Amino acid sequence: MLELRHVSRHFGGVKAVDGLDMQVHQGEILGLIGPNGSGKSTTVNLISGLYAPTSGSVVFQGEDISHLPTHLRAQRGIARTFQNIRLFSQLSVWQNLWAARVERGTGWSGWKSRWLASADQGRELAEQILEFSGLQGKRDVLAGNLAFGEQRRLELARAAISGAPLLLLDEPAAGMNATEIDELDQRIRALRDQGRTVVLIEHHMELVMGVCDRVVVLNFGRKIAEGAPQQVQDDPQVRAAYLGADDNDELMNAALAA
Amino acid sequence: MDFYIGLLQVIGVHSLLGLSAWCVLHTGQVSLAQGGFFAIGAYGAGMLTTMLGWPLGWALLMAAVLAGGIAVAVGFPALRVKGLMLVVATTAFAEIVRLVFFNLSWKVQTPEGLIGPDGGLGFGGIRYFQANAWSNLHVLWLIWGLVAVVMALLWSLDRTRIGTLWRAVGEDEVAAQSAGINLTAAKVSAFGIGGAIAGLAGGLFSHNTTHIEHGNFTILLATFAIAYPILGGLKSLAGTLVAVVFIQGVLIEGLRFLGDWRSLLFGALILLVMLVRPTGVLGAPLRLPFVGRRDEPTSSAIPVERTHHA
Repeated sequence: MLELRHVSRHFGGVKAVDGLDMQVHQGEILGLIGPNGSGKSTTVNLISGLYAPTSGSVVFQGEDISHLPTHLRAQRGIARTFQNIRLFSQLSVWQNLWAARVERGTGWSGWKSRWLASADQGRELAEQILEFSGLQGKRDVLAGNLAFGEQRRLELARAAISGAPLLLLDEPAAGMNATEIDELDQRIRALRDQGRTVVLIEHHMELVMGVCDRVVVLNFGRKIAEGAPQQVQDDPQVRAAYLGADDNDELMNAALAA
Repeated sequence: MDFYIGLLQVIGVHSLLGLSAWCVLHTGQVSLAQGGFFAIGAYGAGMLTTMLGWPLGWALLMAAVLAGGIAVAVGFPALRVKGLMLVVATTAFAEIVRLVFFNLSWKVQTPEGLIGPDGGLGFGGIRYFQANAWSNLHVLWLIWGLVAVVMALLWSLDRTRIGTLWRAVGEDEVAAQSAGINLTAAKVSAFGIGGAIAGLAGGLFSHNTTHIEHGNFTILLATFAIAYPILGGLKSLAGTLVAVVFIQGVLIEGLRFLGDWRSLLFGALILLVMLVRPTGVLGAPLRLPFVGRRDEPTSSAIPVERTHHA
């Protein structure tokens, strides 16, 4: 469904992503992990369009989207969340969701539903997903006044409501407690069961290893391992990348369990 | 009595000007071009009624369409930049417009004599109201009728999806485009609608004063235009209106006896509002100071500090 073909992104002399080849298959939950600064977020920005690749190409559903503007990629079906929550904080919950709904209609009626639809449409639309996100009763609250965990859930809901087949989740578990992470796990699975494809960037290894079908590991902008969670976990290169040293099972297990 | 009618007319025209800036500020853009669109409307409508003998209604409509069209044309390149660069770009545009009218001399013979813009001397004799025996009160009704129409239109627009999209873009452009919102379309549409409203206001202004000159359309006018919605708060249209009444009615007219000290007070007031009501006078629910502050309702409009930013 999504393919990165030898994609690089350099910032001056820094090779944030360096010749990355990666595939995301339809209907899978793909984990994207790696130490801090390994290029995970840059990769997400390359896919969603905030960055254009220095070289290489991004292909989504058979179309080269490398140089497509971000909003068109979103309209084609790539939705995302952000590592640092970026809600429209002075808008209410339902308005946040409504703004992200991609109306795909054509002609006058499509134009009208994109620009001139009434607020009732937005409120009804929001109702459909509030329960899924555990935000019942919060429809009219300003997003900026939600609790932290609620803001994270709203961001996920905002990505989901777009109707996009591909969801890029950039550290959705950051700052969450164990219960919230369990709920997140359930929601990610539920989204997959709806037929969505999920790319999960995450530091929380328990979540990644539990929910992902496949994991790609980055370090210094390159892919150093790929495969089933267990397989990746046992990979000596991955262990070295995370610990900066070779075999040290005890430390590694501690890090992975953290 | 005439003084107060005149003052209310000024307040009405400036309300439209403030509403035009409100549209643009909504999308997070600070534009100093509103004075330019206002000038285009003022000269355009004036020339149409005096030189071509158009009826006022069509001339005002044309002024709005013309200013809106130019706003869209200017908006496509100008809105590629933001923040300070946009302020510079829009200021440059407004100055160009002013200088074009400063240099425009084009008079035609009409039954009332030679008439038209005359460069630095200005454009006089825009006497449509006088020629058609409109009383001051009639003009007042026209101005406030149009204010009401524009406010009603903006109010309903704000309640359709475009209002939400404008606000979303104004809040966070990165999140907005990642959610599939076309930033250019959102910004240019706001800019165009704002330009049309400023053009309409300009048309009313020139017919109300009967004489205009380039000096009416300096950067000061554009500063007023954005000061109204900022002082009033972007949450509601009424805020802009309140700010215009306060600035034009209380500060400018009411404090005339202070002479030059008035400008100082004006600056101090803007500072005060920024400190006390950072989201504008009507930006958050009004409440008495020091009353009921302890239990903030969770749905109040006071922004919560976002501490999770990197």
